[in-house]
Amino acid sequence: MEFTLKYKDLNEKREIPHEDYTIKDLLDELELSAQTVVSKQNGELVIEDTQIREDDEIQIVQIIYGG
Amino acid sequence: MQCSKCGNPKVIYKREQSGQLLCKDCFIESIEKKVIKTVKKEKLLDKGDKVLVALSGGKDSVTTLEILNSFREMNVIDLCAVTVDEGIANYRQEGVDIAKRHAERFGIEHKVVSLKEDYGITLDEIMQRPNHKGSCTYCGVFRRTIINKAAREMGATKIATGHNLDDEVQGIMMNYLEGNTDNLTKLGAKTESHAEEFTVKIKPLREIPEREIGLYVVAKELEVHFDSCPYAMQSFRGEVSEVINQLAEKHPTIKYSTLRGYDKIKGVLKKEMQKEYAHGRCKRCGEPSANELCKACSFLEELGV
Ligand code: SF4
Ligand SMILES: [Zn+2]
Ligand SMILES: [Zn+2]
Repeated sequence: MEFTLKYKDLNEKREIPHEDYTIKDLLDELELSAQTVVSKQNGELVIEDTQIREDDEIQIVQIIYGG
Repeated sequence: MQCSKCGNPKVIYKREQSGQLLCKDCFIESIEKKVIKTVKKEKLLDKGDKVLVALSGGKDSVTTLEILNSFREMNVIDLCAVTVDEGIANYRQEGVDIAKRHAERFGIEHKVVSLKEDYGITLDEIMQRPNHKGSCTYCGVFRRTIINKAAREMGATKIATGHNLDDEVQGIMMNYLEGNTDNLTKLGAKTESHAEEFTVKIKPLREIPEREIGLYVVAKELEVHFDSCPYAMQSFRGEVSEVINQLAEKHPTIKYSTLRGYDKIKGVLKKEMQKEYAHGRCKRCGEPSANELCKACSFLEELGV
């Protein structure tokens, strides 16, 4: 079971490691704070509690930068 | 899971402090309503104002322009914008281009002022100097001077900046921690100055958390410049911000309560602590200044330009 991750220049297929795998889990893996990004699932904004499903396209947009 | 306001199952945001869930339309509406409420509560606008938006092309200034435009559409105010090009290679140009496109979209008067044209030096060139004082010191002082000057030239009665809740709370805590009571009196929704030459500054987004502004521009598909300045570095402000955000994870109302508390003591602070306004003039540029030279000009003298 795979999904696609888009983040900055990254565009890659990743494994869904377990059931109930959420965007929050993914952000933790990427060491990103939910406070500095927003997430889209198949092009639509979603909250971090959203479960990632097979063949999803998950896009993470960084909205807070220093400076 | 559904929107707390309209029942739409497509929820895009959860307000931690209240548990409220919001769909895209209700989220956008909640931000716009809140800004309009701040404008009214703090009396930020008067009918007939010409408001100059300090438009960098980043999320905060674009949101400020977007929401203030609703007052323009109701013929309450007129809008114009100024963008400062500090001369930071591979960074500033994109923001300038985005700012231009927004000004065109609204059909408002827009001025781009570059440090190079006005002062003959770019921020990049200043940073080549061996004894510089740090990029942000120059950037802040020159930007303020340029925006004040533009306000006078364009006949603006107010200057609107994109300061959000996080910026404001960082300012309160930083100045408090540094014991800088003078700067502490200068925060707030509306800075009034005794000098006619200084246009009143307003902060319409001051009650909106930074992350909500980021989500607002993405939800509304507004074009903004999301990037970090190459000179952004570890600063005291950054450290304070980290601590506040850490606290906010367990105490989601803490930014609001810090702001409310400050607003309650501000009156007393101003009365007791505010320094008498200096009526002098800078002998080099004629801007109001407490000393012989204003901050911008004393930097220019040091840099030999
Ligand atoms: S981070 Fe960059 S743009 Fe911001 S004040 Fe510092 S030098 Fe200027
Ligand atoms: Zn709704
Ligand atoms: Zn001067």
